[in-house]
Amino acid sequence: MTAITATTVSTIGLTTNAEPGFGATLHSEWTKLRSLRSTWIVVSLAIGLSIGFSALIALTSGLTHDSWGEDVTAAFDPVLTTNSGSLFGSILLIVLGVTAVTSEYSSRMVRTTFIVNPQRHRVFAAKTAIVALLGLAITTISIPGMFLVSQPIFGYYGLETASITDSATYRTLITITLTQGLIYTMIPFSIGWLLRGTASAITASIGFLWLPWMLGPLVPVWAKENVLRYLPDIAANSLSGITKADAAQYLGQTPAIITIAVWLTGSLVAAAVVLNRRDV
Amino acid sequence: MLTATGLTKRYGSTVAVDELTFEVKPGIVTGFLGPNGAGKTTSMRLILGLDKATEGTVTVNGQSYRDKRAPLQEIGALIDPSAVHGGRSAYHHLLWQAQSGGLPRHRVDEVLDMVGLTDVAGKKVGGFSLGMHQRLGIASALLGDPPVLLFDEPVNGLDPEGIQWVRTLMRQFAREGRTVFISSHMMSEMEQTADHVLVIGRGRLVADMPMEAFTRRSAQSHVKVVSLRAHDLVPHLEAKGALVTNGTVNELIVTGLDAPAIGAIAFERGIPLNELSTQRASLEAAFMELTHDSVEFRADRGPARDLAFA
Repeated sequence: MTAITATTVSTIGLTTNAEPGFGATLHSEWTKLRSLRSTWIVVSLAIGLSIGFSALIALTSGLTHDSWGEDVTAAFDPVLTTNSGSLFGSILLIVLGVTAVTSEYSSRMVRTTFIVNPQRHRVFAAKTAIVALLGLAITTISIPGMFLVSQPIFGYYGLETASITDSATYRTLITITLTQGLIYTMIPFSIGWLLRGTASAITASIGFLWLPWMLGPLVPVWAKENVLRYLPDIAANSLSGITKADAAQYLGQTPAIITIAVWLTGSLVAAAVVLNRRDV
Repeated sequence: MLTATGLTKRYGSTVAVDELTFEVKPGIVTGFLGPNGAGKTTSMRLILGLDKATEGTVTVNGQSYRDKRAPLQEIGALIDPSAVHGGRSAYHHLLWQAQSGGLPRHRVDEVLDMVGLTDVAGKKVGGFSLGMHQRLGIASALLGDPPVLLFDEPVNGLDPEGIQWVRTLMRQFAREGRTVFISSHMMSEMEQTADHVLVIGRGRLVADMPMEAFTRRSAQSHVKVVSLRAHDLVPHLEAKGALVTNGTVNELIVTGLDAPAIGAIAFERGIPLNELSTQRASLEAAFMELTHDSVEFRADRGPARDLAFA
């Protein structure tokens, strides 16, 4: 018996005794994400479509502003108008956040994930960090990109322009970059863990993040004051100035930051708890 | 070493695994047998911490799987070879696993080489054949060079060449001193690879014994004797404690005495024999007999399920 044990030890087993740390899990999750072509298609589309669409809107603004009424002219904002391309960007952020999770379930690869690393909270934390960083990387390029590509077009047509070195301008851009990058990637990411299906999670994410925003003008004031303004996307708009201070759903700076933080951590915690309890 | 104690998994009112208690001994191949739907895969999932047991515990080397931090170097598992993302290359599929387990990158090349997938390492696994998926799954299990290996139906759907390859590999792992736990619904497969068998039927353990004992017990042999004076032979055989039943004309089916003993008696009494042969019941038949009462989906009770113990 002793002899058998001795040979067993000498022939089987690698000499890497060090326990893999959190860095190893991060590395692994990054490899998963970067090794899929679909990741890079989503990243390119998110950046390309949002900047392209903003340029188009800037061009139409330039071509039509002579015929604008007073109210439209007053509503024009050389910083916020450039954000129009986010419509496409945010859809793709949702796709990125959801599929980072659901593609593992649809291929059943998630089993391998948790066989390789049974520490579910660690895998969850690593994936959260990697997906959040990629989401932020996208908006870090797309949001300033939309702004920068629009300004020369505004200038050419004699519209008001803004400078990125202006503190109010870059503060707004940073706010949109952070809130959009996190909200539109990480809430769908959490919904992905909860629902586990790509189609259902994307539908639910769009419904949750967009519907209130689209229905905004239709709902009564009490709903705007008591419900709408506490939704993550609406709160982010208050923070970035897209929603003006006189609007019913406007939320002050500090409450808006708290609201967004609660939604983000709340959805992530819910996803982590459910993941830990459920059978894979 | 795998130890299950009172392991139970219920889904609502359905009992998938019912109070399993067993130990998988180190250094040998243990076969985990049972018809489809008997609870083999559920047991595997419980061992690997994918499912939570309703009651009871199962440990790998004394520790619950979900408490492990670097299980790749302790136990390698193949439970579902098609559970890979089709858009990723074989190399990257193994790379993320190696990184997660804290294993060096060169292990990926080594295991790819071991299973013969080096040439297609850069190809997307979506285009892989069933056999290639199986090889990739085995490569994953071998990444950490673990002393314990766990395979769920490793030959399912493979062609004869693939079956031969897997069979050889399992024996090789055992020779290297690894503990191999392998599930199958094919009795014949186990007969050639396993040293020990656990038989499960409808979630319950119905046998736990060395393969040799199982073969002996299950395939109870009898001796066929053909003689023109068969009648005269019967009392002499029965006198020696044999149980004799009549077959066709001039034919006797004898249990309790082996062929040489029967031959000796016939010689002693001067009774000429036309035929004397040991008949072994097939192991398949014994296996079906054993699990017969515990098969969940019986052909006579509803939709026919795959009950072929080919």
